[in-house]
Amino acid sequence: MSNYIRVCDVEKYYGNKSNVTKAVDRVSFCVEKGEFVGVMGASGSGKTTLLNMLATIDRATAGHIYYADTDITELKEDELSEFRKKNLGFVFQEYNLLDTLTIEENIVLALTLQGGKKQQIQQECEQILRLLGIADIREKFPYQVSGGQKQRCACARALVNHPKLLLADEPTGALDSRSAQTLLETFTDLNRTMGATILMVTHDAFSSSYCSRILFLKDGKIFYELVRGEKTRKVFLQEILDVLSLTGGELSDAR
Amino acid sequence: MLGKLAFRNMKRSARDYLVYILTMTVVTALMYAFNSLIFQNDVNQYFELEAIMEVMIGLATFFIVLIVAWLINYMVRFMLEKRSSEFGIYLLLGMKKRTVARLYMRENILLGGISFLMGLFLGVLLRQVLLAVMFSMVRMEYHLSISLNRWTILLTVLCYAGCYLLALFRCKWKFKKMNIHDLMDEKRKNEEIREKREGFKRLFLPFSILFILTFWKVFSMLTNAGEIALFLIGLVATIYLFYIGLSAWIICYVRKKGNRIYQGQNLFLLRQFASKVRTMQFTMGTLTALFTLALMGASIALMFSDYENTVLEEKFPFDIQINSVDPEDDFADEIGIIEEDTKIQKLYSYQIYTDNENQVNSWMLTHLRAWGTMYQKKDGSPDERKIEKMLEEEGVYCTYDTYMGVTAYNELRSMLGYGRVEINDGEYLVHIKPRLYEEVKEIGKALKIADASGEGRLSCVGVYGEPFSQDGHNGGDYVVVVPDQVLERMTPYYAELAADIEGEAPQGLNKKLDELTSKEKDYAGHVRPNLQGNSCCGSDNIITYAAVNMVRDNLIPEVKFMLASLIIPLFYIGLVFVCVAVTVLSVQQLSDSAKYKFRYDVLAKLGLQRAQIHQMIRKQLGAYYLCPAVLAIIISGKMILSMSKAFVIMTGVPVASASFFIKSIVLFFGIYAVYYVVTYIGFVRNVDEKEC
Repeated sequence: MSNYIRVCDVEKYYGNKSNVTKAVDRVSFCVEKGEFVGVMGASGSGKTTLLNMLATIDRATAGHIYYADTDITELKEDELSEFRKKNLGFVFQEYNLLDTLTIEENIVLALTLQGGKKQQIQQECEQILRLLGIADIREKFPYQVSGGQKQRCACARALVNHPKLLLADEPTGALDSRSAQTLLETFTDLNRTMGATILMVTHDAFSSSYCSRILFLKDGKIFYELVRGEKTRKVFLQEILDVLSLTGGELSDAR
Repeated sequence: MLGKLAFRNMKRSARDYLVYILTMTVVTALMYAFNSLIFQNDVNQYFELEAIMEVMIGLATFFIVLIVAWLINYMVRFMLEKRSSEFGIYLLLGMKKRTVARLYMRENILLGGISFLMGLFLGVLLRQVLLAVMFSMVRMEYHLSISLNRWTILLTVLCYAGCYLLALFRCKWKFKKMNIHDLMDEKRKNEEIREKREGFKRLFLPFSILFILTFWKVFSMLTNAGEIALFLIGLVATIYLFYIGLSAWIICYVRKKGNRIYQGQNLFLLRQFASKVRTMQFTMGTLTALFTLALMGASIALMFSDYENTVLEEKFPFDIQINSVDPEDDFADEIGIIEEDTKIQKLYSYQIYTDNENQVNSWMLTHLRAWGTMYQKKDGSPDERKIEKMLEEEGVYCTYDTYMGVTAYNELRSMLGYGRVEINDGEYLVHIKPRLYEEVKEIGKALKIADASGEGRLSCVGVYGEPFSQDGHNGGDYVVVVPDQVLERMTPYYAELAADIEGEAPQGLNKKLDELTSKEKDYAGHVRPNLQGNSCCGSDNIITYAAVNMVRDNLIPEVKFMLASLIIPLFYIGLVFVCVAVTVLSVQQLSDSAKYKFRYDVLAKLGLQRAQIHQMIRKQLGAYYLCPAVLAIIISGKMILSMSKAFVIMTGVPVASASFFIKSIVLFFGIYAVYYVVTYIGFVRNVDEKEC
């Protein structure tokens, strides 16, 4: 068993004693280095909560999350920020770009927060801008570019520090289908060429068909797992849709 | 239902705009307390000058109402913008525009009403403090009485309601013109950052800095009102241009990728600051102007209050001092009145002499700092024609020099408790006002005073500078003291009476003395010296107090009251202006904290620690708060420094001229710090809110 990222019996409860909601209920899984994992589920299934715990933005009620040998559930707040800065990258549905900064500056900021020399920062920024095809809009402000471009900028910002894990929460949620496709191809590229490890939360079957493995979440529990293996994307998409058609009822109902 | 909604909304606004409510409360309290001075009959009835206080406070109230109207108008509009999408939703739900406008108006009236009532309560307390201060200033006993004066309340309500209605009607008009889409869109409009022609706009920064430098260099040389007005207009324009230039400069720096942006959070902070200044440039300019005015008001008030505390007591060393232009006057009527009303310890009447020349006068006019080079020719020698004209017309000094015998001088010294002074036959001394003492030390070298025989010269044995009731009594600024026999060859010039009485002089004694003659009275009802020939008032300026009859215990409270009617309104204006300006800054920041929360959340996701984020907030608020303050300090600095320099020279307040400026800055930053801390705490709470 790989020990790149291990999620062990993680639980997250909301509410008080009399009224407990189990958002995530004893979830365990592993992520290998260089994997592109998708987490699917209907709204309310706990997928974003799970992502937030992996992202160290939210704390687990019980269980452990290991990045290599570091158990992030044991870290203090300041250690968590440090950990986040060094190991994680984020892409969110609503882009989360800083509106006062240009596209390029949004990326530069992520680099300067890590510290580093001017030339090195410029070089890395240049590289990632080109890799994601947004070099020609670098001078623009977020409100001046399209959603797809904004999301690619967010990707660039997330990846520029070479994180151990890229966390994406509904990254295609606000994009048109063309932009969504481009973005997903970018993800696949990054996954293949840079060896980036990606965990993507989505409820969109098309998006998840780009992943190499998909976890299906329902009522806070993993209820199915699909691995793409050597299958074509089309076949894989069909499989996903089959599984999704079950999520309306219990898995046993389909059998 | 609408009432309930309005109430709920008001409650929410109250939390979001706590600083605004606090300020409105404080302003109401100040307004009530100061307005009550207009209707304060206990003090006013004693002074003929009451009108001054009323006019000054009225004038101050006028400016304050203007500025408070601006604040309310700004806030009402600001809240409208912030909540526009909410109003859009109301319209979507089918509410009529009129209903929404009325709802908003009702909310604001509720909000205003609450702060008004709180302010009134605070104002009643503040009034006690203010009156106690005022009474102790004019040396009267004050009995605590908590009462509401209906005229004061009425006036305060009128001022307050006027401000509100004006603002709300403007809003109603704005509502009328809006449609749902505009309302929903309003919020987004603010966020656009327009960057056009930054390279050109950037030039405003060096331009405005250059203008301010020129202003510093040239201001004290400006002489006529036209030039000064022109410069002030330029200054106002510069203040606004400065902010355009500043934000453009930062933007250009960031675009050029200066080295500093690659360090830590600088990039974020610079961009944040530039965009805030950009969208707020007009408001920032107005705030700078308000700060400048507040600083100047406070400094001038401090100048006068320093005068009151240091110089005033020295101005009236004798219990009673009376002047008569008739050298042979025996003061029989005056003595009669004084004897009637008081118990006299000592009475002394004497004469001031003259030698019908003006060498001392002309030395004064050519050597004192107050006159500069006004009475010198280009080569530095005295300009006789100008001096003669001045002596005849302006009454600063008598037309001829003023002398006094050493016996009379020593009598007066003993009345004041000073030690006796001995001079020999061939000697003289000069007695000068305390403030001029340092400047005339060398006078003995220049004067050529003939001795009793008229052939020899007297030699100077010293200059004395104790308070000696000059200002037209014992000379304008100076009196030359000579051996008694020298007086024989001089002519009596005018007569003086000095009295030492037991205890305090009764109220109204001065008035009784003034009523002896039917001569022209001044605005305070005192007999005014005619300032011609043998009547003069000395070279004091800004605050002069020349009177024929002076009863110390009557005059000091009167002068203090007069000064108070300058000091109090100036402080009043200063306080309100600072509060209003800082409120706008605070409210801006606090209400934006939702937007900032998002930005700081993003930064937290990028791995910034909480402590680092708090540090960034401190820096951001600090820059935002300091910018208008520093600019205001730089601009007002020059004006205050040259004013206080002139003030020190002309009135003789024994302090360094920069001290007023420094004191008002300290006062100013005290208020500033309170608002900064309150804003910081609120800001951090808003940013941290959901994360915990």
